[in-house]
Amino acid sequence: MSAPIIQTRELTRRFGDFTAVDRLTIAVEPGSIFAFLGANGSGKSTTIRMLIGLLRPTAGEIQVDGIDVIRHPRRVRDRIGYMGQKVSLYQGLSLRENVEFYAGLYGLAGDALERRWHELRERFALGDVEREKVEDLPAGIRQRAGLALSTLHRPRVLFLDEPTAGVDVRSRALFWERIQEEAENGVTVFVTTHFLEEVDFCDWVSFIDAGRLIANSPPEELRRQHSAGYRIAIEAPAGVREAVVRRLGEAGIVTAPRDGRLEARVPALDARVLDALGRLAREHADATVHVEQPAMTDVFRDVLAANGAAS
Amino acid sequence: MSWRRLRTLLQREVRATLRDPFTVTMLIAVPLGTLLAFGFVLSTEVKHLPLAVLDADGSPASRRLVADLTAKGIFDARLFPTRAAIDRALVAGDVSAALIIPPDFDRRRRAVANGEPAPEVQVIYDGAEAVLAGNAEGFLRSLIAANGVTLTEDVHGGGRVAVVTRALFNPRLDGVPYMVAGTFGFVLSFLTTLITAVSIVNERIAGTFEQLQVTPATSVEIFLGKILPLGVVFALDVGLMMLVAGFVLGVWPQGSVPFFLLVSSFYVLVSLALGLLFSATSATAAEAVQKTVLFSIPLVQLSGFAFPIRNMPAIVRWITEVFPATHYIRISRAIYIRAAGPVSLLPDLFFLVVFAGILLWLALRSIEARA
Repeated sequence: MSAPIIQTRELTRRFGDFTAVDRLTIAVEPGSIFAFLGANGSGKSTTIRMLIGLLRPTAGEIQVDGIDVIRHPRRVRDRIGYMGQKVSLYQGLSLRENVEFYAGLYGLAGDALERRWHELRERFALGDVEREKVEDLPAGIRQRAGLALSTLHRPRVLFLDEPTAGVDVRSRALFWERIQEEAENGVTVFVTTHFLEEVDFCDWVSFIDAGRLIANSPPEELRRQHSAGYRIAIEAPAGVREAVVRRLGEAGIVTAPRDGRLEARVPALDARVLDALGRLAREHADATVHVEQPAMTDVFRDVLAANGAAS
Repeated sequence: MSWRRLRTLLQREVRATLRDPFTVTMLIAVPLGTLLAFGFVLSTEVKHLPLAVLDADGSPASRRLVADLTAKGIFDARLFPTRAAIDRALVAGDVSAALIIPPDFDRRRRAVANGEPAPEVQVIYDGAEAVLAGNAEGFLRSLIAANGVTLTEDVHGGGRVAVVTRALFNPRLDGVPYMVAGTFGFVLSFLTTLITAVSIVNERIAGTFEQLQVTPATSVEIFLGKILPLGVVFALDVGLMMLVAGFVLGVWPQGSVPFFLLVSSFYVLVSLALGLLFSATSATAAEAVQKTVLFSIPLVQLSGFAFPIRNMPAIVRWITEVFPATHYIRISRAIYIRAAGPVSLLPDLFFLVVFAGILLWLALRSIEARA
């Protein structure tokens, strides 16, 4: 296990008597997508602002890519990219002019800029709109452009604060594809969101409520701990049902008849389960298998209930 | 029209207004402050005008003349040893008028009874402030005439005193140069502050300012990136205003044009820094504009742009000194009308530099503030 690229210890931020973030301790693996979830006002944005050096914590420690952000907030800026809740493009300028502006701030110019922008323009499908004024672009494209700009200088860590807020479902899906590409290229992505279904794009989930960390694990682990598990429904001719029950039973999956089908619950879709279902499909082509994933909404409802949460 | 609906609308408006402390403060402080300022502080009367006196005679009669001139509180006399010192004080704006009493004043006054001409005292006044200069001249003439009568009654053989007046600078007592030179101060203070006041707050609302703060750009770079382009634009504005004032109004600076442009450009930076400070400390563009408007009221009343500072009560005169505009307008008029150079304007230049330092530092801090 490599050293965390983002690490906080007992991170706390108070505004007067109100504690926005309360002794938050997290560690983010390099190259992972880290989802930081919570309801509105739970402390997500306050945390991200502290992590990028825009807000001084009341107490605690922050390390980003080996740099003490509290003591040296400026040193980390070359290494991070940031995209806030509002897409930070200058209105009145074209997308290309925005690119040149931000590139200039990172010392990117000439051929290096052209090569980098050409690559991003293709990946983010922005070629047709780069001469358009920013205010004329649809929200989804603006969002993609914002992400492209935040990666222009090849940051090692990308902080995204609710990047998909206000974007339609299709654009959100495209957006997450790009985020995953960044992670595949070795960029660590720290993303806040309140779209719970987006958690499945991520490697790790931390969930805060009223500034306190109440869940901190991979999404599958959360499902395992806070749901009744995956529901597997098998429709099979009466003649093969017994064989199906036996085959799945060998893998430790207990089935029961329900509404004319066989049903089973498993805590996770681990290798054992997938292997059993694969063999079942090969051996009984006339059997149909439906797998229903526990909804993250229900998972988090359970997390909140288990922690006596404020939200 | 539904009275119930209207009542609902009125209730909401009143609630919203009264719950905003800034608005409530404005609603109370602005009318009261303006009333007091216009009624009490601001006056075009001649009061406590600094009067330079060169008493070359040093006789009881000449001292009596000086005492009479200062008795009514219209003039505050300051004795000067030489005519050159008086000229320097007039150029620097330290005094508004000067009285020069000749060495044979008392002898000649007594000789009037023998049919000799009355002694002449010379009154020199700063004609830059035309209305005030006119009033001052009138007062001096009447006070000296009254003094002549008093002396005649008190001293056997005494006689009249003749007054020779001369306006230094702006001898035609034209009011336009005074207003033109002052207008530079008003425009550069109000417009620069207004333009910059919305800049950061708008960027903050748009999210671009936060984005900027996360880039390697330093606070100083962001700050200079904001004020230098506007500074250049306003410096060009100053040049344009000078040309229009010259060609259209016939008012050209009597002093050094490069010096005026240099000081004006520097003052633009001071005003821009103030605007940035307003902007960085406001939550909305509307709040930033309100602050600018609020600032512009004392700017008009207390900077000397419209009303002479010397007529204000002492405590208010002290307050006027904390407005950078007061010092710039003083400098602007001195260069434009009295051809003053840097040496005679050192005190005001010093204050401008101090204000620049403070405001630029505060504006910079407000940009880099990590709450």
